[in-house]
Amino acid sequence: MGKKKSKHAFLLFFLIGVCLTAGLPASVLGAAKPIVIGGSLPLTGQYAETGQWIERGMRYWAEEVNAKGGLLGRPVEFKIYDDQSEVSKAVTFAEKAITVDKVDLLFGGYPGTAARAVMAVAEKHKYVYVSMGGHMKSFQQGYTYSFGAPPLMGEWWYEGFFQWLATLPANQRPKRAAVYTINNPVGLSLMDSINRWTKKLGIQVVINEKYNAPLADATPLIVKAKQLNCDLLFSNGFFPDGVTTIKAAKALNYNPKAIVQGIGSVIPAWVKELGRDGDYVFSGTSLYNKLNYPGNDKLNAYVKKKYGLDGYPLYFGFGYAWMQTLEQGVRGANSLNQTKIRDWLKTHKVHTIAGPMTFDKNGLPPPINFCTQIIDGKVELIWPKNIRTREPVYPKPAWK
Amino acid sequence: MDPVLVIQSLISGVMMGMVYALLGVGFSLTWGVMHVIHISHAVFGLLGAYFAYTLLTLYGVDPVVSAMVSTPLLFIVACAVYQVLIRPLTKAREMVVASMILTFGLAIILENLLVLVWKADPRLLTPSYASESWIIGPFYLQYPHLIGFALSLVGISSLYVFLKKTTTGMAVRAAWQNQEAARLYGVNLFRISMITFALAVSTAGAGGISLALLYSFEPHSHNLWLIYLFLVVIVGGVGNVIGTALAGLIIGVITGLSMAFLPYQWVNLITFGLLMVFLIFRPHGLFGEVG
Amino acid sequence: MKKVPLIMAVLTVAVMALFPLLRPEVYYLSFLFTLFMYVVLSSSWNVIGGYAGYLSFGHAAFFGIGAFATAKMATAFSLSPLLTILSSIPAGLLAALVALIVGYPCLRIRGPYFSVVTICFAFVVDLAVKNIEELGGAEGLWMTFMDLPEETSRAIMYEVMLLLMVVTLATVYLLGRSRFGRGLTAVRTDEEVAETMAIPTAKLKIQAFVVSAFFPGVAGGLFAYYLSYIHPDAVFSINISILIVLMAMFGGGGTWLGPIVGAVILTVVNEGLSTFAQAEIARIIYGALFIIVTIFMPDGIIAYFRRWATTQRKA
Repeated sequence: MGKKKSKHAFLLFFLIGVCLTAGLPASVLGAAKPIVIGGSLPLTGQYAETGQWIERGMRYWAEEVNAKGGLLGRPVEFKIYDDQSEVSKAVTFAEKAITVDKVDLLFGGYPGTAARAVMAVAEKHKYVYVSMGGHMKSFQQGYTYSFGAPPLMGEWWYEGFFQWLATLPANQRPKRAAVYTINNPVGLSLMDSINRWTKKLGIQVVINEKYNAPLADATPLIVKAKQLNCDLLFSNGFFPDGVTTIKAAKALNYNPKAIVQGIGSVIPAWVKELGRDGDYVFSGTSLYNKLNYPGNDKLNAYVKKKYGLDGYPLYFGFGYAWMQTLEQGVRGANSLNQTKIRDWLKTHKVHTIAGPMTFDKNGLPPPINFCTQIIDGKVELIWPKNIRTREPVYPKPAWK
Repeated sequence: MDPVLVIQSLISGVMMGMVYALLGVGFSLTWGVMHVIHISHAVFGLLGAYFAYTLLTLYGVDPVVSAMVSTPLLFIVACAVYQVLIRPLTKAREMVVASMILTFGLAIILENLLVLVWKADPRLLTPSYASESWIIGPFYLQYPHLIGFALSLVGISSLYVFLKKTTTGMAVRAAWQNQEAARLYGVNLFRISMITFALAVSTAGAGGISLALLYSFEPHSHNLWLIYLFLVVIVGGVGNVIGTALAGLIIGVITGLSMAFLPYQWVNLITFGLLMVFLIFRPHGLFGEVG
Repeated sequence: MKKVPLIMAVLTVAVMALFPLLRPEVYYLSFLFTLFMYVVLSSSWNVIGGYAGYLSFGHAAFFGIGAFATAKMATAFSLSPLLTILSSIPAGLLAALVALIVGYPCLRIRGPYFSVVTICFAFVVDLAVKNIEELGGAEGLWMTFMDLPEETSRAIMYEVMLLLMVVTLATVYLLGRSRFGRGLTAVRTDEEVAETMAIPTAKLKIQAFVVSAFFPGVAGGLFAYYLSYIHPDAVFSINISILIVLMAMFGGGGTWLGPIVGAVILTVVNEGLSTFAQAEIARIIYGALFIIVTIFMPDGIIAYFRRWATTQRKA
């Protein structure tokens, strides 16, 4: 009998303690009503890995903001739904966040197809939507409330690579390109710059093929590229097909002067799983974690401590940068009124870990032209030249 | 058309097809003998892949060894799964449908358990020979493909020998051909079913590891692998072990040839289209539903 | 139909039709839109799957055909909102036509092989659309918004989908009670015997397949307009095909109520779980639901309750 009573007492005190501690952050910030930022991410399903990194970047931003007193004097919190990597769910959850939860702000989702659909929802409800966007076509629909800050723009992805390539003397540049592209919005947008630049640089596109996922066997692709003496390989795809292609390239001892990867090499798994085999591939990026923009050091230190990674992953940076942009829009407009935020963002410069950005009428910053190369298991920035972190390795050393 | 390209595509295609067959043979067997469409078969394959990945990265154990070790482990796990989840389904009027719904749920649970343990990050199985080849003339026989091919031959022929030569195996075939008669002969159908199920799932581990030698994998990958399983069953015939092996070869040939001759954009469409046409003319698979 | 259930059904529909007048949040209109859509999909699938016993695992193909046909027509001819919505009907007819062409050879295949050929068919359609640029290809298609406040436009889509659901359910109900329905049951029970009894099984099957494709086609067209951006992955996904089958069989194939019950339960549960539980846990609970229901109600929910009701009556 005594035991039960003391057990109940303990439970009661425990619960009170929990309530007090839970209530503490709110009371620290003056018990102000939080600003809720809502939307959905693919937390499960095909795109879960990226969705989770975006969430981590977003939450880190929120921690920082709240530690400094919140936004407009109020703490920020998220309402993140899991859209299970399905476009239709991303749409309904966006609507739920806007109309039921009546969130104050929206956050950006993934992948590009979901972003395309949610951009439409945001526009219909006149909510500012800062995200990766869905490549150029999605910014040509006349939407005014969407911003890519920064966007993941397939059309810009290889700009830096080609600009660098143009600085090489013509006789050192590759002459024959093999272009293999995944048949989806990302892949198709990557081809845009290839078509323009190969003409400019006098590179003959000997092979230009699209493939539908899944890429079951990359062997024929590599054999063909070898036989036709292609000294430049474009593997315009995601991680699974990118890996299959690289493995085949090594196994078949195909040694082009350069290999350019789409968005497969931008996730941490590329370096982690492929090791040295993943070295020397070129790619683009929308932001770079070793640049001198304010905040990069802090994020790198945090990611090193928490995840043991050498520099924050791209999607962590995206999550953080999109929130930074939104934050500055809110502060600048000094309001949660979406139209005011939109107008402020369209007429002012924001400063993020991705650098300073201004937005045109479509919500896009000026074209980004970063080029990266993975050297010794690290993602190095090789273009623009003045912020280069390491000299590019060209031509690609033969497989060992 | 360049002969080297064609033959090289065929070589890697066939080996890849056989790996699909290894993962698919258990699926086909379960369906044919027990009338259970085991949607979570591919997830067990993934389980094997993660098992091999962990042993390789932590202790340097070669995937082939992991394949051999995972087989009896999965057998035991599958026996438990059978007793708890599958056996109650025999009450259903339409076991095929009920088994599909149940194993669908099981697949979702297992997939998300994998996420909780290993996270959603994609993984590669990279033993020392991961990107090496055995070069014969102008042709490259990539080691991961070779290993997968070898594992597949061993796995499928072991299963075949078991079914044809051992008493338990013959009991399985008997139960499959005529349940009533088998019962009359004193065959314990539940025990036979459990052994069949467990055997099928145990091959999934080796199949998953072989697939992981070729492709990157993550918890969601079983959805993709499931498609390969259905492909193999279409061509090989439900329950037909040798048919499954031949199906792997045929799918490999179709993929290899179409990649050698057609724009890659059309390869998947041609493969599925051909299989559709094929099914229309030979609905029981190439080799019918024989043991 | 007996008088009391009929009056109840009419009342329920009337209440649902008047719901937008309560000015609910747009999300509820969207959620119910999706719910009605799945009822349409699973109920029409049931005609070929539950009644005839031919389990099609590629039904998303018809849904997607309707979606792309509507999106293409709307953008190519710059259709007004009303015409866009109406264009979902010819889109549905196109889906039905495809079903007719494909059904003719495929319905000669029985059992699991039929299921497998429908999977192939869905992949073929998906890949075909991705490879044909005029249809949007792998980029997808954008549609113009209705020039109306969002509450109004969502309410319109809600009412249209409600109408489609009522028409679909009424059609399926009447078909189920007719000679046609009895013929399908005969096919499912024992096709050989049915043939010996001079039942035109081939004709019945094809008709069932065509009917089962029409409504999903129309629903697809409405879905495309509702999303404003359509991509093959969003409509041809095998997950949709599997979900349709699960909803119908989980609720109880071969019954009129089964697909409705299945669609409602699974949609509501999935949405609810995603809202209240952490992502992976929600999925695990969702998966467990299938296991538990199948173990206790292996023939579907409706069958279980009917059996239970019969035993109660006996007691």
